[in-house]
Amino acid sequence: MFTAAAESFLKQAREIQEEELRRFASRVATVLQGPEPGPEAADCLQRLHLSVAASKYPRRLDGKFVDLLQAVLCSPKSPEQIQLLCAAILREMSPCNDLTLSCDEIRDTKLLSLVSSVLLAQGNKKAEVSAVGQRIVKVLERRLPEGQSARYLLPVLSNVIRLSPESLTEASPWGSDLLHLLSQPGPVTEVDGAIATDFFTVLSVGQYYTEDQWLNVQAFSMLRNWLLCYGAKGLKPPNSDDKMGMDRSVMSVVSTTSTAGRLLPPKDRLREKAFEYCQRLIEQSNRRPLKKDDGDLQKACLIEAVTIMDIICKQDSSYVYRSVSFLKILHSRISGDATYARALLPIAQFFLNHGKTAAVDSDAIYKHLFTDIPAQLFHNPSLAFEFVQFCKDNTQLFTETSSIFRQSFPNLFKFLAWNSPPLISEFVDLLPFLLDASTAIEIFHLLLDLPCLTAALDVQLRSTALPTSERACDPAVKPTTCLEAFRHPQYKSMFQYLLRTKSAPEEAPQRLIPLRQLLGSLSSSPRVVQCAETVPVLLELFFRVVAEFADARLINQLVVLLLQRSDQLYEIPAFKDDVYRVLSSQLVMLCKLRPALVVELSTEILEFSGTVGNIQNKEAIFSHLVWAVGEYLSVSYDKRCTVEQISRFFETLEAMLFEITQLRPLASTPSYAPRAISVLMATLTKLAARSQDLIPRVSMFLSKMRTFVQNPAVTSVYSEEDLEEILIRATELMNLLKMPSVAQFVFTPPVDVGSTRFQREVNETLPFALRIVTRLLEPAPSFMPG
Amino acid sequence: MALGVLPSPACPPAPRGSPYRWMQVASQCQLLQSSSGRPSAPQLPQLPDEPVLLQDAPGGLFQLPPGDPFPERVTVAWLSVVALAFALVCDPQENLSLAEITLRRLAPRLLASLRLLGPGADVLLRPETIDVLLDRFLPHGQMLFLNELFLQAVDREMGIKASR
Repeated sequence: MFTAAAESFLKQAREIQEEELRRFASRVATVLQGPEPGPEAADCLQRLHLSVAASKYPRRLDGKFVDLLQAVLCSPKSPEQIQLLCAAILREMSPCNDLTLSCDEIRDTKLLSLVSSVLLAQGNKKAEVSAVGQRIVKVLERRLPEGQSARYLLPVLSNVIRLSPESLTEASPWGSDLLHLLSQPGPVTEVDGAIATDFFTVLSVGQYYTEDQWLNVQAFSMLRNWLLCYGAKGLKPPNSDDKMGMDRSVMSVVSTTSTAGRLLPPKDRLREKAFEYCQRLIEQSNRRPLKKDDGDLQKACLIEAVTIMDIICKQDSSYVYRSVSFLKILHSRISGDATYARALLPIAQFFLNHGKTAAVDSDAIYKHLFTDIPAQLFHNPSLAFEFVQFCKDNTQLFTETSSIFRQSFPNLFKFLAWNSPPLISEFVDLLPFLLDASTAIEIFHLLLDLPCLTAALDVQLRSTALPTSERACDPAVKPTTCLEAFRHPQYKSMFQYLLRTKSAPEEAPQRLIPLRQLLGSLSSSPRVVQCAETVPVLLELFFRVVAEFADARLINQLVVLLLQRSDQLYEIPAFKDDVYRVLSSQLVMLCKLRPALVVELSTEILEFSGTVGNIQNKEAIFSHLVWAVGEYLSVSYDKRCTVEQISRFFETLEAMLFEITQLRPLASTPSYAPRAISVLMATLTKLAARSQDLIPRVSMFLSKMRTFVQNPAVTSVYSEEDLEEILIRATELMNLLKMPSVAQFVFTPPVDVGSTRFQREVNETLPFALRIVTRLLEPAPSFMPG
Repeated sequence: MALGVLPSPACPPAPRGSPYRWMQVASQCQLLQSSSGRPSAPQLPQLPDEPVLLQDAPGGLFQLPPGDPFPERVTVAWLSVVALAFALVCDPQENLSLAEITLRRLAPRLLASLRLLGPGADVLLRPETIDVLLDRFLPHGQMLFLNELFLQAVDREMGIKASR
């Protein structure tokens, strides 16, 4: 991880013993108490800091030593480096009970900031935050002595209000100072080199910055927090009467003209000034900066300015009218520029919050945001992250089925498809809000095709990057690469469907089969593989959520689609295995939820369970399906379950078991999953228990299993343990069938009994039950009943 | 991969010695590298003082849920430079564009002042150097909207020549 030297320092520091540390500390104390602490003192303090910081458990230093550190920190004679080190050590030890540090007597602003950093790290058990806040305000209120700068104090104040907003209730006059700081004039330039004609802001450019301009920068940097704390608390200015409340309507008229700023109380004046500052910043962000990196700052400022305007409008709705037209113009200015895409989010949030108040139609804004942006900029990871956060912050938008937000979910998944690792947990939070009866099927298909979407997005990006000359495509020639296929008429509409920006529930995903095959060449790309790994998690969540609202029709639809889609998955082996695993357990869940579906979907289930290939390729789904048949194909679950139904299933499954256990003397024996054999035997037994004229057939079959497991061709392809299990199971099932009424009870319980824990876990406890029954039939001498 | 974690004051400190947060950034970085097809262990520059190009340095954003390891939900902005990663822990409502800008400014200055790509152990033994830099760019955890010329003024004050 580190270099060798660093590793060894770290090891030493972590392993130092208490006693050794104490001795070292007293040596440091001696050095510190010497005439002039110099390089040796610094060196000692650095090592001491590492020892305290590196250990997993808090290190305690002597109370006297703590006093010494405090004294050295506060002494005007100490060099700056020593002071910094003392403060660093004290912070590392926080919370420290021996700390007696106080900022009350400190006048030097730099030192005050340093001491505050130690005090604010103590966890506020002794109201340190409030003490610091009040001291800072007191110092700032008076005129600072020569050479002292307020620069060191504003950030402390910002930290104080974040940690404990109540600490400044006594300090309301400070709002007007902030106001003053935001109103600097200045002979400076704009970022594009033009001479500035308006007040100074963070986007103004100067050569030598004055103290006030510094404070302007800091004041704006903390403005958002200040407004959130100061603006919302209903602080009354020092001279307020109850006039404040009554005259509110007058005040709001006055503030819209923005010339009567002088007449307003400090809080309102600050809001007015903040608003103007933000407007100016937005105007300044229109300029083309001379220095490229200032462009990034412009965008960050834009985002901040819009956010602050939003906050101001929440605190005083009279600002809404002024903001709305201004922000609409801003939106039209930046909506075509991809580099400004992140700023579209706070603008949209503003209109979501205040659009109704202003009776403004913001649909065009939302449409652009949800239709165009994800399609064009899915590959920008920061935008992707913030976009998804925006969705999570506004989940109420997705509840309306017809809304543009809800309709755009295929677009949203593009962010996840491309940027899977950071966004998977965000989508786990978001998915439940996108799911309802009208979107469930489409989202099911979308999740299964998510890695395909990643591959398609990759092709789209590469295709867009091609020069126009290379994009020509000959429709007569069959495409050989994905890139060629992107524009080929045969595949174009498939790509378009996969890359759609809006929900299209009536489309059939079967049409993607050729495209999935074509995209197989990208199936090992790292990004595709990363995306594929997110699908099982989302699938499980999907079913969990859907189970809560799905009606009979939807459940049946999902089961049918589940079986169909098992053939139509993107060819990534690990992906397919994981998906089968999830689908098979969810299939069982759906059958438990609605046992009648086994009867209603008998055609599809028979077809699936009657295909030998499914035992090889999709064993998990096959086995769980067959288990479900054994469990739920019963008249106790559905009156429509006739003897003919049971016979039909019996015959199909019997044929399957025959197929996979038959011994071919000349051809080599293929091996099948032992679980499939076991579950087929168990299900056939269960069906026979319900339709007892089938019992002789099953018994005969089961008795032949002994021959099967002993056959040399079989023992060479199956493991000994598996064959033993199969034989034991066959024997137990046969024994059970010798007591048909017991068998019937065990396998066909009345429905209310079916909800006991025993029955719910029959899959696991059946072998146990079978063993008990076997013992009843063949009691060993040591067997004790009960 | 070595790591520096800079908490904003909005987040109370994580429990001591929690390695989990280191692993989060490391794994996000590796996953991003592998998905974009870049080699996972980029070559170190020949000389430790060679200016390091930050424009292409990978970075990103992700969230950590409450309790894991911070008491509140936090958003992490991270930046990877050669074999080092830097992480800035933010309150979810903070200006993430500014957080990314702040990281891109702090990283080269930390790299230079602490000679992070060299063989020494300055990163462990010079906390005061780190504090001085943080005090300028992230004073008490406050991110600052500093334009390029302000930045140069800050650098002049500190007497450092930062690589771009």
